[in-house]
Amino acid sequence: MKAVAVWIASFCSILAFVGAANGGSIPIPPEYGKVIIRNFSNRAGLAGVRFDHWLHRAFYTCRLCHVDIGFAMEANATKIDAETNTKGFYCGSCHNGIRVHGDRKIFASCSLEARSEERTGCSRCHSVGKNVKKEYGYVSFTEKLPKENFGNLIDWEEAESQGLIRPVDFLPGISVSRASLNVQKDFRIKSKGWMPNVTFSHKKHALWNGCELCHPEIFPSVKKGTVKYSMLQIFEEQYCGLCHGRVAFPLHQCQKCHTNPMPR
Amino acid sequence: MIAAILVSCAVLFTGMPIVQRESFGAGDMQEDWKREFDNICSKTQDALEFSVGELRDLIARCDALKPRIEKLDEPQRKVTLKRLQMCRDFYIYLLEAKENQ
Repeated sequence: MKAVAVWIASFCSILAFVGAANGGSIPIPPEYGKVIIRNFSNRAGLAGVRFDHWLHRAFYTCRLCHVDIGFAMEANATKIDAETNTKGFYCGSCHNGIRVHGDRKIFASCSLEARSEERTGCSRCHSVGKNVKKEYGYVSFTEKLPKENFGNLIDWEEAESQGLIRPVDFLPGISVSRASLNVQKDFRIKSKGWMPNVTFSHKKHALWNGCELCHPEIFPSVKKGTVKYSMLQIFEEQYCGLCHGRVAFPLHQCQKCHTNPMPR
Repeated sequence: MIAAILVSCAVLFTGMPIVQRESFGAGDMQEDWKREFDNICSKTQDALEFSVGELRDLIARCDALKPRIEKLDEPQRKVTLKRLQMCRDFYIYLLEAKENQ
């Protein structure tokens, strides 16, 4: 049994390096989950916005941003501009100079009246290609968080269970008050071939994502057992691959999903 | 002269409340869509337990609300329409899942 586990771990590591060698470059940990937003930045004479998932996911759930605030799951599909931000939508939902996180007031994201000499503050977000000192540095921010082997090198789930991060899931004035989540039981997805079966945890996923982020857009309604998810599809960013491989832990960590027996 | 003053006063005292009521009414209408939206989308987490009839009712309420949201100014319109669509799609998903069982 131990030999099989070692063999699978070796296979997954090789998979990661082969993927990198074939041009699917593995980003360095602070870059994993990075999104460059520049629908309108260049036209406004500004650099593109660098958005770091590792920082925001430590403070807020995926659901809060992608459901309540309405950010698309695809880079540059939301079409954020300064006007929408100043009206209190998208980034401006939190970055409005009023809302508070912890003991800090969250800085305002954009100003339509900013004169060129006042635009130095813009580079806080419009930082692509610039050497901007960030308020939260990756190394200092993550040094006390539990570690992983891939992605951001952070075990986010463990970080939350230890109380080191507490992602907020409700934004007053924006979120809708909902009943507490009635979580479905974990279920097993049978693997084809020699890999251990997958244990899918609704609990782990639904607490951060809610229901409507995944259903039906990523996982449509089907008759139980009629759809087969292949790793090829998942590596092409379909199904689980939409998040795992881009922001959530990467696909090379086979043993995180292909668990056998089912964890408690 | 006295009659003119009396008429002016009457217009003033009867007119102003009407204007205020109208503006209150418009504001109330605006908030009305929000209340309905919040009510519909607050049920996504417990909708799994809903009957087919309850899910159909929620979907019908989404459809009835959509034209009112389409009249809102941007970007409120775009953001709220997307959120409403996500709620509606999820209720349809659950309905189909129940019918597939």
